[in-house]
Amino acid sequence: MKKFIAKSEESKKILNIVQVSSALPVNVIIFGEIGVGKKLLAKEILPEAIILDGKFLETSIINNSINIDQYKELIITNIHLVLNKKEFLSNLINIKIVATSKTLLQDIEEQFAIKVEISPIKQRPEDLEEISNIYMKNANEIYNSHISLDSIQTDISENGISLKKSIYKNTLLHSLSDNDINQALESFISKKLDENESYKYFLKIIEIPLLHVAKTKFKSQLQMATKLNLNRITLRKKIEQYFGENHD
Amino acid sequence: MTNFYEKLLEYDLNPYFVFNSNGRIKSFNKEAEFLLNYVSVKELFQLAVDNASKDFGFAQRYIPLKFNKHSYYAILIGYVSEEEIALRLYKVVSNQSNTINSGKLKLVNIFSLIELSKNTTLLNNPIKINEIYDISLPEMKININEFLLCLNDCFKYFENDTEITLKVRMKVGEYEVVNNKKYKIIALEFSANHIIQYNQLLEEKAAKANANVFFSHNKMKVELPIIL
Repeated sequence: MKKFIAKSEESKKILNIVQVSSALPVNVIIFGEIGVGKKLLAKEILPEAIILDGKFLETSIINNSINIDQYKELIITNIHLVLNKKEFLSNLINIKIVATSKTLLQDIEEQFAIKVEISPIKQRPEDLEEISNIYMKNANEIYNSHISLDSIQTDISENGISLKKSIYKNTLLHSLSDNDINQALESFISKKLDENESYKYFLKIIEIPLLHVAKTKFKSQLQMATKLNLNRITLRKKIEQYFGENHD
Repeated sequence: MTNFYEKLLEYDLNPYFVFNSNGRIKSFNKEAEFLLNYVSVKELFQLAVDNASKDFGFAQRYIPLKFNKHSYYAILIGYVSEEEIALRLYKVVSNQSNTINSGKLKLVNIFSLIELSKNTTLLNNPIKINEIYDISLPEMKININEFLLCLNDCFKYFENDTEITLKVRMKVGEYEVVNNKKYKIIALEFSANHIIQYNQLLEEKAAKANANVFFSHNKMKVELPIIL
């Protein structure tokens, strides 16, 4: 089971809060941005409980398609999306609830004796480092590579979700062999040919990243032409074509 | 006959005081003596002076007052000479007995609830809390959900403070009668370096948790019976 990572002082306190809460007959609401670990934290409180989406559960209760009395405890995600929250919660008074939400909802605040806010991952550098290392290790194992975190660009705009995505994607891209690239290109070309794309289009797909990287690496057009073994006039024409006339 | 009237006042359920011109008490009854446990003589004298009629005479004022658990709905000020002033307070009478639904009570360590509430309400708040706890207090039966909701609001009240003190102790010699049984009382006393305003919402929340909350100057006190 995946665990809530708690290396920062804030996260350690949060983990301590939920450990105490798990033994108490009170409802808990966990709120914070997407990808901060709300669901993982909820699982720390109720490891055996099933997880239901708030809106789905609301519809199921209205349609009488769920026997709510069978549950003693529930993890309800995205409770902020439930339309009639007070009525929704009035159906669940005999159940211990751990709910997750994007924000703390004032209209139902009183239904939750324990309110836990998880900060964005960028505000918890110790957690960010630990989580990044875990994802990096897993990605290296999957793609059989030895890439270090320093050599890739990570994205934490959506906290853990975008971080994981960016690490896996970058590791995959770094570990591709010529054969993998050929296969990927062939699959891409096959799809695009079905869409009637022209030779010019495919040339553009290859040449734009090539010229972009060469420009970053070799700085001047003279060096680019020499290293790529390409006529300078042809190179200039292509740069003008793809990046505009004043691009040098 | 004078003796009869004196006795009538002495055994009256409403407290009365007679002050001299310096604010010293000249005379008072049993109820008044009891009230002095919760409010200072100075405060009561000031109440009488502030509400006395401009000229000599008797003035009735319908003002709600609350000292500890006791509420009053009106006062009478007798001001007939420069030498003395009298104050009588009229009690709000409730015939509701103090009962608790024991089904919702769970045995718990109160300090773990305090810690939990403090950490959730003031998670990233740099406030300094001086904790003076009597850790010998036993586990007690509490309506955990309602008590936490009340406690959260107590801590939230101080979220803009830099330093507060929280004392938790058992009250000596005081009891509360609940369901016709006598229980000792635990007091959580929050104090800050500013005046704490009366908060009706908090009072209502405390009542749901079978607790009482009192506000006096820079202190907020939550008291609840120790049900074992």
